[in-house]
This record gives sequence, C-alpha cells and structure tokens, in this order.
Amino acid sequence: MTNQDIRAEAETRASDRTDQEIIRKTLEEGVETVWDRFALQQPQCGFGQLGVCCNNCAMGPCRIDPFGGKTSLGVCGADVDTIVARNLLDDLCVGAAAHSDHGREVVEVLLETAEGNAQGYQITDVEKLKHVAAEYGILTDGRETHDIAKDLAIWILEEFGTIKNRIMLSERAPAPTKETWKKAGIMPRSIDREIVEAMHRIHMGVDADYVNLLLHAMRTSLSDGWGGSMAATECSDILFGTPEPITSVTNLATLSHDKVNIVLHGHNPLLSQIIVNTAEEPELKKMAEDKGAKGINLVGMCCTGNELLMRSGIPIAGSFLDQELAIATGAVEAMIVDYQCIFPSVPATASCYHTKVITTSTKAKIIGSIYMEFNPENAIDTAKEIIKLAIENYPNRNMDRVRIPARPMKIMAGFSEETIKKALGGTYKPLIDAIVAGKIMGCVGIVGCNNPRIKQDYGHITLAKELIKRNILVVETGCSAIACGKAGLLVPEAADLAGEGLASVCKLLGIPPVLHMGSCVDCSRILVLAANIAKELGVGIGDLPIGGAAPEWYSQKAISIGTYFVASGVYTVLGIPPKIFGSSNVLNLLADGVKEITNSTFAVEPDPLKTADLLEAEINRKRKALNI
Amino acid sequence: MKTVFVRQERCVGCRHCEVACAIEHSESKDLLSSIQEKTRSKPRIFVEVIDNYLKFPNRCRHCDPAPCIQVCPTGSLYRDENTGSVLIDYLKCIGCSVCAMACPFGIIQFQDIPILNLNREVNAKCDNCIVRLGEGRIPACVQACKTSALQFGEVNDLIRVARTDFTIRMITSRGADTEVPVIPKNIQAFQAVMEKLASLS
Repeated sequence: MTNQDIRAEAETRASDRTDQEIIRKTLEEGVETVWDRFALQQPQCGFGQLGVCCNNCAMGPCRIDPFGGKTSLGVCGADVDTIVARNLLDDLCVGAAAHSDHGREVVEVLLETAEGNAQGYQITDVEKLKHVAAEYGILTDGRETHDIAKDLAIWILEEFGTIKNRIMLSERAPAPTKETWKKAGIMPRSIDREIVEAMHRIHMGVDADYVNLLLHAMRTSLSDGWGGSMAATECSDILFGTPEPITSVTNLATLSHDKVNIVLHGHNPLLSQIIVNTAEEPELKKMAEDKGAKGINLVGMCCTGNELLMRSGIPIAGSFLDQELAIATGAVEAMIVDYQCIFPSVPATASCYHTKVITTSTKAKIIGSIYMEFNPENAIDTAKEIIKLAIENYPNRNMDRVRIPARPMKIMAGFSEETIKKALGGTYKPLIDAIVAGKIMGCVGIVGCNNPRIKQDYGHITLAKELIKRNILVVETGCSAIACGKAGLLVPEAADLAGEGLASVCKLLGIPPVLHMGSCVDCSRILVLAANIAKELGVGIGDLPIGGAAPEWYSQKAISIGTYFVASGVYTVLGIPPKIFGSSNVLNLLADGVKEITNSTFAVEPDPLKTADLLEAEINRKRKALNI
Repeated sequence: MKTVFVRQERCVGCRHCEVACAIEHSESKDLLSSIQEKTRSKPRIFVEVIDNYLKFPNRCRHCDPAPCIQVCPTGSLYRDENTGSVLIDYLKCIGCSVCAMACPFGIIQFQDIPILNLNREVNAKCDNCIVRLGEGRIPACVQACKTSALQFGEVNDLIRVARTDFTIRMITSRGADTEVPVIPKNIQAFQAVMEKLASLS
C-alpha cells in the first residue's frame, strides 16, 4: 500500500483523527485489526444475516430459502417466522444475561462489603443506599449502614431468583407503563427466570408462535433493563459513589510518553475502581520512578472506562474498536480486562509489542494472556500485583516503535439521573417547561457500540450533531458517549452547535447538549430519567416525546437494550439491520404491530441524517398527542 | 447442452457451494474426514462479493471453444464429449498458468490435488463434477445451493425461464395477473438497507 492508500484506508475506517493515525500505523506495520478480519470474512452468509438459519438441534442445521423456494420448513417443521423469532430471542437472552450477570457480581460485592469480607470496598453513597433500601421497604432509621446494605443486597439478589415473582426495581416505572406490561403479559417476574424460560422456549417443540416468542423477548429485556442492569447501576453507585459532573480527556492521546500506561478495558468497575484507588499509593509511584517512568497513567476503555470516567474522571482512551489501536501505539504496558467486548485476538495483537494482557475473571479467560484472578476478598492485593506487573514491563517498551497521537479532547461526563435532577433544581419541572415551550423539542438516547460495517463513530457523531441542531437533547451511554466525546460534543461549548432553544438551556445550566450518562448497563439511568419525568407529568413513558437510537450496534446486549426501550415505550432506530429480515411477519410486528401494545416501534435506518428525521417525526407525533 | 446457470440475485453468499465443492474433490468426499486430510481440498467455485450484499458465485463456464484449451501448450486441457465439460489431465499440467491468463472469468486456481499427491500445484479448475454427472447426479455446488442461485439443466430451458419471468413481469405491469418468482419485499428491504450501509461516507 502506498502512503496515500494507507491514508485513504484509515479515513474509511474511522472518524477520529487519533484513531486514523494509529490505524495508519497498523497498516504500515502489518498488524492485523478488526477491519482486516471483517474484510476477510466477506461475503458473510446471507442465511445468517437474515436470521433464517437454525442451528439449535442435531436434526439441523436447517435454513429456509428466503426467496420462497421448496426449503420453507426446517426438519422439525419450524417455519421462517418461528426460526427468526427464536434466533432473535436467543440473541437477546445472551445480551440480557451479560448485563444481569455483571449486575449480580456487583450485588454480591455489596453483600460481601456489608459483611466486612471485601478488601478495599466501602459504602460510598449512603444516601443512595437508604433511598433504594426504602424502595424495598427496608427500615433505615437508626440502623447501621452495613446492616441496611446487607438487607438490600440480599433483597436484590432475590430479584434474580424465582420466589418473589416480581422485580421490585420495575415498580419504578410509571403506572400507565406498568399497566401496558400487565395487559400484554410481559411484566418481568425475575431476572434469571425470564432468561431460563427463554432458553426453554427456544428448544425444539416448545414455542412456535412468533408473536408469543417476541412477547417473551420483551419480558426478558425488561428483566434486564428494569432488573439486572438497574441493579448493576444502583449497587455500583452505592459502592463507588453516584456520578456527578466531572471533566476529563479522551482519545488515544490520553496515553503517556513517559508514564506507565495501563488500559482498563471491559465492563465491570469492581476491580478497575480498586486499581484506580490503589495506583495512588506512594510505594507504587516510587517503583514506577525506579523503572524510569514518571508515574502511572491509568486510562479506561469501553464501559469499564465509562464507569471510571463517570466517577473518578479517569481519561478514556477509546471505545470498542479502539482496543487494538491502543496497543498498536506501542506504549501500553498492560491491558487489564474483566469481560465483555474483549477481542479474543487481543493477546495476539499485544504480542506484536511489549504489552501484557491480563485477564482477571474466571468467566473470561483468553489463551495468550496472563491470568490473575480477581476476588473481592483480596482486591487490593490483586490490584497491586497487577500494577506492579505493568511497571515491571515499562523498560520493555520499544521507544522506536511508539507513536502516541497529540492533543487529547476535553470531555464532561458524570450525568447520572440524580445529577441531572439536581442540576435542574431538584425537580424536572424546568426541563418539562422547556419541552412544553418548545425550547427543547424532546430527548433522544443514543446508545450502543461500534461495528466495522460502518465508519467508526460516524453514525453516533452525525446523529448527535443533527439532533442537537434540531433542539433535541441527547443523552448517551457506552461507545456512543465515547464517540461523541472524541468528537468534542461532550463539553458545554458544544452548545454552540445546538439549535437556539437547546443552546440557551445548556448555557444557562452550563451543561453540554450531549450528556454522558455512563456505561451500557447505565442505560437503566435513561429508563429512570424517563420514568421520573413521565411520573411528574402523570403519563406513561410511551407518551413522552423521546426516542432511542443505536447507530453502530454490534452486540447482543444492544438487542436487549433496544427491546427494553421499545417495550418501555421508546421508539428506537437501529443503524445496523438486526438478523430478522428473513421473516416479513417478525419485521412487521417489530416495525409496526408492537405500536398497539407499547406506542413505540423499532425502525432500521443506516443513514444518521434520515434517522434524525425519523426521531424528530416521532417526537412531533408524541408532542401532538400531549397537545404541546 | 447442459450447464450450471447462475441467478445472481438469489445468491445470499452462504458459500455452501464452496464447501460442497471442496468436499466433492477431497479424497474422502466426507465433510468431517476431508478437513483432516493431509492435502486439504480447496473449492473450485468462488463466491465473490462487493460491499457485503452483492454476491456472485463464479465458476467455470465450460466454454466452447474454450480459450484455456486453445492456449494450453501441453494439451493437458481437453473436452469431455459426452457432457461438454472442460477437463484437465493433472499429470500433463506444467503449472505455466497460460490457461488462467486466457480465461475470461478468472476462475482457474492452482493447487496440490489431494488424491494424487503430486507435491506441486496444478490447474485445479472446476470439472463440472464429471464423476457425479456419470452417475446421473447433478454438480455438488448446485445440489448445495438452497436458494436456487445455481441451477443445472439444459441451457436453453434455463434461459427460457429467465425470459418468461421477465416477460410475465412486463405483462403483469400492464394488467396480467400471473405470479412469477420475484424477490420478496422483505429481502428487497434488507438489500436496500445493506446498500445504504455500504454507501455511507
């Protein structure tokens, strides 16, 4: 490839200047990345893309001819609607399980902390603990914090079981929304139960009615959004503090030339937050200096990065498609991963440089990495050991192969639901007034991942810019928030890019027009925000002038998020087609029929400008229904 | 003249034809055993792609006259008179690749042939599944194709179907009520989404 070709290729792959710089480096050095593997996978199987391939049982694999030929039934007799709906439910379950199992670990650590068995953890947000405990009917007056925390942790752990037959956190939804769920028979009963039942229904010879399958998919997603994910958010806040506005920096320029670079990658804050707290210790700083470094530079990546950014202002190097690029700077001593969205090939990428990849969860081991098991009982000890390993590796950095882009981008994060409410003066009335007055037309949650099918961050940035221009407030989580952060949209000055009405509100409050609400489990914060606004108005979430979008999603977790958005009443536009186009019935139900149940639907639209049109039209439809 | 006719619009890019072809030309002719063989059989049909939604299963057309036969300096390429297939005598092939230069479709590939253990790469072009044809069976790629993107039969019959399809579609637009196989709406919608995705800046 000529230099010109390399430059052009990097520009097709990513939007961000620092990403492009390191993509060029990978192309120059011949380091394989996700984009190369994506190209090698072409063409991708159309049966799979359409969702018409069933590989569930040993009579198969079967596939349905999407053109209506003779192969219209699987060996078992399942038709295309059954197969597509079963596959979708299967994918959704994986996503819900990932969020919820992450949540379970946080609740377990809350319990261990309350029992005094967790090293380095404490109840940081006592006010939130009491608030959530009260929702569970746990007495808080005059009781020791640890006793309350223990009761709460046990209560939340029971949300995963099957005894209660209801999820307490879902009671937070406004009454009309809950009524919708009851009427449709999709009120979630427990976090684990819905997932297990889904697996049962997917088995051959159980659920063959695509409508029934999709209704259960909605119930399963609700058990994630209003259950597992929400438990993760609430208990993380109790343990590490509820986020408040905080400024930091982002992009690959956050890596340091002269400090030990440690990338914290994955999704769960349990270990990484302890690493953040431990890295301050003088003993470790001295050790780094002894090795010739000027200190320790911690940077986040993906949602672990978001958790640390939100609470501690730790710089965030990038999102999902940046994991290989961070390593390819040649400046990373250690990449510490917990789980979810870690490329299995990361150790192979790391082997091109001196970087050590450290896996820490018994659930997520990768051959070629160093496994250092993390347990809450000895969290600090493990954290120290991991940091030491990174420091020891500093002298191995080959300065001739290091390239770190210049100029990190400033960002503001930390917009938890509580913080937004506080910024508004303790009530949503000012926001509601601004919406009624038309200064702000509505609100859209942009969430989800990166996907090599689309130029990295292009969908997120273009959509966010277009929405704020139209006076639509944007809230974000996950990779979407990182994308807009890199593009300079998460700063108060970005209000200049917004329409007049939204800009005036942002300037008054000193907030960005795009609010970073956290990691992907923190999409539950968006639900609580919507619920609280709806309650103040006395309507359901489905009546609010709001929408959702996942312009660059790739993960099954995004399917669960999108579905609990729609099931909660939030119209949601997907930029990447889900694997359902093989069935017209499934397609029609999700893009149209579901409206009768939740007053919201899915749409598929890759073009972010057209996505903005769709969202604006939906917001106007709901404004009209509310007579505003 | 019998041929494998390609209906490109029906190809979903599953590459099942490639797998079936490789198995057919392996030593064992069995999926699980063939992937263990010392010399791994490779496909002789190629599903080419543009932007992950436009696909074309490219395969030897068994031309007559065949440019590859005409230019082969060792006479290793020849025609099977019964089936019209262009075949190769692997032992005579010197791997000069002149046949590949002459091929209008670019489908000639060189590989070590599993059964022969020649320890050199020779022209391993599509043999039209000549053994299967002899047994009254259709080519492996055609049998593997579940969307009828690959069809085997008398060339004029297959062309006639395509012609009738088109003609009836034209007449339908003028009021006739005959139904012919067209691309279903949901698949058209999917292709439109993929096209849009591919054309984003």
